[in-house]
Amino acid sequence: MSKGIKPVRLKYTVIGRRSTLLSIALFILFILLSNQFDAYNQSQLANIATLLIAVFSITLLTGASGQISLGQGAIMAVGGYGSALLVTRLGLSMWLAFILAIFISALFGLFLGLAAARLSGPYLAGTTLVMALAIPSIAVRFESFFSGDVGLSVDYGVPPTWLSNLVGEISIEQWSLYVVLPFTAIALFAVLNLSNTRTGRTWRAVRDNEVSAALSGINIARTKVIVFVCASGLAGLAGALYGFRGLVAPSVYPTDLSLTLLTAAVIGGLRSIGGAIFGTFVIVFLPDIIEKITANIEIPETIGNYLPSLTIGILLLLTVILNPRGAAGALEHARHRRKH
Amino acid sequence: MTSFLTAFFSGTAQGAIYALVSLGLVLVWRGAGVVNFAQMGQAMFTTYIASQMIQNNYSYWTAFVVALICGAALGALVDLGLMRPLTSRKNSKLLNSQSMRTTIPVIASLGILGVLKSLAGIFWAGEERGFPSPVAPNAIKIGETNLAITGFDLFVIGAVFITLVLTTIFFTKTGMGLAMRASALNPEVTRLSGIKVGSVRTLGWAISGTASSLAGLLVTPRTNLSPNTLDLLLIVGFTAAVVGGLSSLMGSVLGGFILGYVISFVNVYSAPENVFIAILVFLLLALFIRPQGILGSKEVRRV
Amino acid sequence: MLAISNLVTEFDSVKALDGISFQAKPGLITTVIGANGAGKSTLLRTISGLEKPSSGSIKWQDQELTSMSVESIVRSGIAQVPEGHAVISQLSVAENIELGGLFRRRSFRGDLAVATKEVYELFPILYERRNEAAGSLSGGERQMLAISRALVSRPKLLLLDEPSLGLAPMISAQIISIVNNLCRATGLTVLLVEQNANTALAVADHGILLALGKVVADLPAKELSADSSLRAAYLGY
Repeated sequence: MSKGIKPVRLKYTVIGRRSTLLSIALFILFILLSNQFDAYNQSQLANIATLLIAVFSITLLTGASGQISLGQGAIMAVGGYGSALLVTRLGLSMWLAFILAIFISALFGLFLGLAAARLSGPYLAGTTLVMALAIPSIAVRFESFFSGDVGLSVDYGVPPTWLSNLVGEISIEQWSLYVVLPFTAIALFAVLNLSNTRTGRTWRAVRDNEVSAALSGINIARTKVIVFVCASGLAGLAGALYGFRGLVAPSVYPTDLSLTLLTAAVIGGLRSIGGAIFGTFVIVFLPDIIEKITANIEIPETIGNYLPSLTIGILLLLTVILNPRGAAGALEHARHRRKH
Repeated sequence: MTSFLTAFFSGTAQGAIYALVSLGLVLVWRGAGVVNFAQMGQAMFTTYIASQMIQNNYSYWTAFVVALICGAALGALVDLGLMRPLTSRKNSKLLNSQSMRTTIPVIASLGILGVLKSLAGIFWAGEERGFPSPVAPNAIKIGETNLAITGFDLFVIGAVFITLVLTTIFFTKTGMGLAMRASALNPEVTRLSGIKVGSVRTLGWAISGTASSLAGLLVTPRTNLSPNTLDLLLIVGFTAAVVGGLSSLMGSVLGGFILGYVISFVNVYSAPENVFIAILVFLLLALFIRPQGILGSKEVRRV
Repeated sequence: MLAISNLVTEFDSVKALDGISFQAKPGLITTVIGANGAGKSTLLRTISGLEKPSSGSIKWQDQELTSMSVESIVRSGIAQVPEGHAVISQLSVAENIELGGLFRRRSFRGDLAVATKEVYELFPILYERRNEAAGSLSGGERQMLAISRALVSRPKLLLLDEPSLGLAPMISAQIISIVNNLCRATGLTVLLVEQNANTALAVADHGILLALGKVVADLPAKELSADSSLRAAYLGY
């Protein structure tokens, strides 16, 4: 009996150690990168660290359990409004508000998940898309509470003196990165561990074949709801961090945000966490890169404005056509080929 | 009373347009098992083509017909160039996964939507422009009293009515219509009857493209035209399709009209900013109370 | 003449058909019998193009079928009645029959009307219920409809996949005898797959016994049904 259990236990500790190391590595990588960057790119890096959490939520939802959401941006809005209201109305500390935002949006995800468990594929996609449109308009509808189109002004505040004393002068941009990064690292740790445990395997079974998963005794509906709760918690955290860049308002969480997040996850590879990181870098930096490339070429402004979205659309199509498993899938494929 | 009539007639006209969009979605869903989120992107693109032609001094009706033909061509192109190779691909680990088989086409259609929007932005600049209608949008008068219905409303209702009659005749009276219904219901038996299911499917995409293109031409005189104008129409159309039961053509049309009345009455009796929330609530209610739709059959969504 | 040689069809590298060779002579009924999982249905599905073989050849009137699509195979005069009374239950009886002849509509409009009439004469019950949904039919009537759908395309080769499956013995005997009469009267070639060997061998001219994807006997039907050792070894009675 003990013979059977031992290797399993061993595997768990290895996974735990590996994910801890990877999370710390990500943290250090971002810090090192930010030291090389100017202020603008530092804030872009903070954006990446924030959106990465939201893209992870799609990796969980779509990649690991096969449910598609076009409304992760709306759940980000829930987290954003939740935390901003806690800070502005109740005067809570920002850090506490971020953590509470996870629970608020997870609770929201529970309700959503109860509806989603009855839905599959395109139904879910459409319903979440409707939600992406409707939720920001709730802010306008209940203007006195949510401040309507104007939104709620919130920010990361100023870095504490002990930190400045420790590492020297900290710019606003660097501070925003420092605030976000611990959450990103924890999110990475959580996602890495989730996908390697029994829970993760259950999710994948539901994704690949609902009937055979049900026959193996998996409660499909409950599994789907749990995935939704976890993914919503992540998205809500991302939304809170995203809002505290300065403003929580309907315009901060447009429908396009949901689609952009999905694009990042798809381009990188829906089933790969490394892919999620790659995809997020692509969507955040792509407009800058295109601008740099086209800076020397004379093109009309109208074309320039639409080049990033055109490129992203084409990338999305190419990914789906050439390799639906995204960049991560392509990499794996290449590695596989070299071996043989 | 006046406001009731206003809401009723404008609801009928709007509902007629939603019915077209929803019909287009259901046609493709039944035929190919794909919800085409690019549908109204295609319609936006063809409406821009019509707008460009009118600017170049072609008549409204020439532009109208060309836009419909382009709608059909674009629909067929999406199927031939993207969806058919995508769904017929074998030996893909990702596509062996049940949920991914429906998810990947959804993502592909979003890619097309993004590309079409950007292209429209590049070709025709992003700013909103008007789109003409062949009938003046004034209220119809009998003697001195204004009726609650406009000439344009009547035009929209008439155009959609003709389309629906033609569609019904096509599906119930023609061999091609029978082939299309059969291949949606049971592709294997249909293939064994010697019918080229792939071509029938492409025709379905083309008809769907035409229907949504018509919806674009009918809605833009009121909403104006920009790369994003028709997004809302897609979402309402989708809700209508779900309300009607994604598998039923009749249901989708019915769902379109119901949504038209819901939105129109919310607009008149409540406030325009409540419309999105009304749509969401309505959709969730529909999903919880009758997930198979008003006319949908239960077995279709068993798993 | 249908000539099959060295046909191999695999599912995930499991060979459902493992080098099958036999011929079905024109105007005769050839029956393929064997236990569950012997590969009978796979054989028919491979002939009609629904499954693609990994090697081997299927020759039909000097045409190689293995590279053709399902639709072109049907159009070359081969009609399959798939297993399980496959009709489209949401369509009416008349529509199901119309569907079978749809691809011939342009070139054979007059003949199509004749073919439809003949099918209704063969199965008068279908004419009575022609406007009802196919889903409302009984099992036997569904099987008649499935056969009618195939016949209305005027096939030269009819592939029947377990027509008696799930039917009362009297009804399945009736259906098989109708097919038998049709074959004798019109010179239709029939390939009949059956698990119920006795019924099939009683009407067939030639019998093929399959076991685990291989042909274990290829004999005239009378000899096959008389060979009790073969029956005991492969069919269990």
